[in-house]
Amino acid sequence: MFAVRGRIVPLSADREVSKGELDAFAGTVWLGDDGMVTAITHGTHGTHGTHGHAAAPPGFEKAPVVDVGSSLVFPGLIDLHNHLAYNTLPLWTEETRDKAKPFLHHNSWPGAQSYAASVTWPAYAFITASPQELLAYAETRAIVGGTTTIQGSPPKNRPRDGWVVRNAEDETWGTHDTNLIQASTLTLNPEGLLKKAARMRQGSAFIYHCSEGQVGTVVAQEFHDAKKADCLQERFIAVHCNAIDPKDFAGWRRHGAVVWSPFSNLWLYSSTTNVPAAMEAGQTVCLGSDWGPSGTRSVLGELKVARLVSDENQWGLSDSDLVRMVTTNPGDVLARPWKRQVGRLQPGAVGDLLVIRAGPRVDPFRALLSARERDVELVVIGGRAQYGKPALMARAGRNGTATTSLSVDGEARAMVLTRPDDPGATWEWDDVVARMEVVRGHPMREIEKGRTRQEAAMASVYLARSRNGGRPVPQPPLRLALDMPTGLTPLGGLPKNLDEITVPALAGLSHDGEFLDSIVGRGYHGGVLDDLARFYR
Amino acid sequence: MAQSRESAIAQKGVRLSEALKGEGLTPELGPQDRLRVVDTLVPLIEGVYCHLPQKRAGYAADPVQALRLLRQRCVEMTDGEFHLAVTGIITGLRDAHTRYVGPSGLRGKVALLPFLVESYGPQDAPRFIVSKLAGTANTPAMKKLGFAQGVELVSWNYVPMARAVDVYAFQETGGRRDARRARALETLTFRSLDYGPPPDELKVTIGFRVGRSLREVTMPWRVVDITAARLGKNPQSALRAAWNPSAESVRKARTLMFAPETWDANRLKTSTGRSSRAKVVHGRSSPGNGVRGSARDTATGKPAAVAIGQDLETSFLEVLSARRVSATFHEGLRARRAEVGYLRVWSFDVHDHEAFVTEVDRLLKLLPQDRLIVDLRGNPGGLIWAAERLLQLFTDREIQPTRFSLLATPVTRAMAESEFNHLELDDWLNSLTDAVSTGEVYSKPVALTDPSWCRDIGRTYPGTAALVVDPNTYSSGDLFAAGWADHDIGPLISIGEATGAGGANVWGDLQLNDALASTPYAFDPLPGGVQFTMAIRRAIRSGVSDGIPIEDLGIRGIPYAPTRRDLLEGNKDLYNFCAQTLHDTS
Repeated sequence: MFAVRGRIVPLSADREVSKGELDAFAGTVWLGDDGMVTAITHGTHGTHGTHGHAAAPPGFEKAPVVDVGSSLVFPGLIDLHNHLAYNTLPLWTEETRDKAKPFLHHNSWPGAQSYAASVTWPAYAFITASPQELLAYAETRAIVGGTTTIQGSPPKNRPRDGWVVRNAEDETWGTHDTNLIQASTLTLNPEGLLKKAARMRQGSAFIYHCSEGQVGTVVAQEFHDAKKADCLQERFIAVHCNAIDPKDFAGWRRHGAVVWSPFSNLWLYSSTTNVPAAMEAGQTVCLGSDWGPSGTRSVLGELKVARLVSDENQWGLSDSDLVRMVTTNPGDVLARPWKRQVGRLQPGAVGDLLVIRAGPRVDPFRALLSARERDVELVVIGGRAQYGKPALMARAGRNGTATTSLSVDGEARAMVLTRPDDPGATWEWDDVVARMEVVRGHPMREIEKGRTRQEAAMASVYLARSRNGGRPVPQPPLRLALDMPTGLTPLGGLPKNLDEITVPALAGLSHDGEFLDSIVGRGYHGGVLDDLARFYR
Repeated sequence: MAQSRESAIAQKGVRLSEALKGEGLTPELGPQDRLRVVDTLVPLIEGVYCHLPQKRAGYAADPVQALRLLRQRCVEMTDGEFHLAVTGIITGLRDAHTRYVGPSGLRGKVALLPFLVESYGPQDAPRFIVSKLAGTANTPAMKKLGFAQGVELVSWNYVPMARAVDVYAFQETGGRRDARRARALETLTFRSLDYGPPPDELKVTIGFRVGRSLREVTMPWRVVDITAARLGKNPQSALRAAWNPSAESVRKARTLMFAPETWDANRLKTSTGRSSRAKVVHGRSSPGNGVRGSARDTATGKPAAVAIGQDLETSFLEVLSARRVSATFHEGLRARRAEVGYLRVWSFDVHDHEAFVTEVDRLLKLLPQDRLIVDLRGNPGGLIWAAERLLQLFTDREIQPTRFSLLATPVTRAMAESEFNHLELDDWLNSLTDAVSTGEVYSKPVALTDPSWCRDIGRTYPGTAALVVDPNTYSSGDLFAAGWADHDIGPLISIGEATGAGGANVWGDLQLNDALASTPYAFDPLPGGVQFTMAIRRAIRSGVSDGIPIEDLGIRGIPYAPTRRDLLEGNKDLYNFCAQTLHDTS
């Protein structure tokens, strides 16, 4: 247990915590050993109620308090649309395509000539040769941007041990029910949709890529197919919906959620989801940063893109509206299947929080919206400090031996990262990167080795299961699958010779100069996204 | 190169009686385990086995119903009876791709007698001879008895030879009578214990004829270690196999017994980790690999400076051999002698198809450029790409690779829908989905070899070529023969009625388990180390025979019956026949 003291922006629905949902105040968030928020108290001094301020809750009298001064304490950010397997890749576009012809819909760009070689094959190299490192890298990128829960971890044969950020689809809250959240990137047929609708009626949420493309294109039908299959329920989380007629949002009467990924939409289609129409119809709008080839590096960047797009379209969304899209909105949506509150700081909620560097009198929502990766001072997940400035991590009980060091935009950060083969040992960040660089340097050799190693391990587990008569057998190796279309590939999805696979340099963890430079003059955003740089330069 | 000590030791192995002492390690299956075996196999055969409709039609056999019946009585059976019953049902499919492997402590071993039996003459009156004798049988006692290469065999454990072979053939998988006999002869003295039970008897008494006298010799079965055949260093190849793994193990054992210097060279290559690709890049074979001959001349492009009949060096010595041979053919009434190129492809079991195709191309350039015999007899298959890509070297035509279908069932549909199988099965998914409403029995057929890969080199051999096959030319060997015939590349000469007729892509139980893991049809590994292989994707011919299956039919050619001279004097009559056919058809 420990506590974080600073300027609290709890976004709480509990009026005993704050009178207004958007209030900010000096106070302390008390995190219990159960990983939940035990209490939130007002005041800035002492742990024993000196100076007339609230005392520590019972049992917390000796708990360490991490005082972050005037810095802001938000609920952890939630990224409700991602594809982690692709998050080492740089922004992609088909350079030979007519600059005036954005892609029509999600079935258009996988047919581009350079797609498979630029996206599928390098991602395949990592999922095959270094699956653990790939996920560690992608999750680190998320936490560097303040994310505490992320959707879109690749399909895998078992949850990854020692995760950095909470993976929405893998989280079972101890129930072992892996169906709490289901997801599909690919379009489902009516039978598949009917099954998902039935699961939702039983309590699951379903995150579904739906009608992604320009308005009026054929993929708009996907929304209607979902409706026909009775998927338009409270636990239906529709990603994109930018191809549908805005009026159709009103037909979704049992209000669910729409996930908005403005960067990706503009990059590929030159247009994006009609957010005001969705909100007007009562749908909950959340943000998602999508993936490396057409997305931002985390929702911290996507917030800024949302600001730019709202301003460009004169939608009038406030900073707090946008912040809620990565906190309370997805938190409330996830609480439906999880029966646990995330995205808000209040007693009984999950202890996920984020500390953003800020001066004493700044507008908290403007501060978060403007924050850069180096402004992320501390991230707590499940009541445990997971990432942050070394000094804050140490005060939160994570001393140097329990963490690995990394540098983010020139600032030192410490992170809890444990070895997949030994959960008790720290996994050095440099080792993660070094291994990925080996794969990058020799993709063919490493794919072959990775595949051979994986097959041998799978065979060994299989044989053990065959011969052990039900006794415990070794855990199978982590195996990942790609969740996006493979594109125009030879049959089997890979080139004839694996030495044709080249893997680009690892995309950075933050919205760095390389990323910002790669936006200008590329994609189909008409220059709107060029302005993202002004938040960073 | 002299035989090494290692291969001499490996050849000796141990007596079967000794090996079976360790058989106590074979786990017995309890009643629940037996039920599990049946309950696992039934839905897989019904839902995945791609030849099920054809086998039901062709053999009036219903393995699903047979297994259901077995389920009712398997609890009261002995373990041995149970495995025999399952093996019988699966073998009844007459499909070497689809095998049931009961529990065994003898995996990775081959039981053998130190000689090879081959037959010549017509199918109805075959004669059997010892066509090869291993060095281990070349003992003074054997010499005294007169048991040598070329002796005619008349009985096997006192059963007349033809009858003994035909009885044994019923335990084998061939669909046609000639195929069953060919496969029986292939395994009569070499039994892969990976894919079948050990021989029933510990010793065999063989009756043979020397001159006019009949003699007997009794030999014990011996067991040697042979690494179980497996494909798949290349991640793409693991699911792209079309082969008979049992025959591949046997082929390796035969290499050990009859060509120990080749076995030694391979062992050396494997242990030193030298890659075949590296050698090919340099345009010549490694001088240290102990291969016969000394051909080289890629620099000058002149014919290889090796004697007729002498093998060219190759870095793929386990799967390729090439030489110039002399053959006679008739032009009108005049007999003419000619040099003919001879390329033997023993197997398509290669890891690196690129290096393999490059090596074949290199060898072809060293052979006479006007006439060629490509010999695929006994080729048990291997990597589909390796076989199909090779075809382009012999023709100007655009090669259409063989296409493969999945049985359209809820199981295969779920398998194709699984995200873990997208890379492998995406191309089949839509037609499997459509089959729900169209009622199609199979998915759309899709090539496993990308068509562009069959056209990326083009023709490099300018002359005419004849292909020789037999009923042991199987699987990828079938595919190669089908491509040869369907693209009219040259005459196809067939010993027996046709090729072995293995028309499918085969997966092991581990691969199938993996592919179904995230579907509602996931299954647990079978208990006690029981394994199986299964034909998953059914091969359909292309070109002029578009749509015709290969399974059970095989590829027919110009019939040829081998002679005694072929078996004992290096295929002399076969070469002449091929040369004549090439002359007549050119």
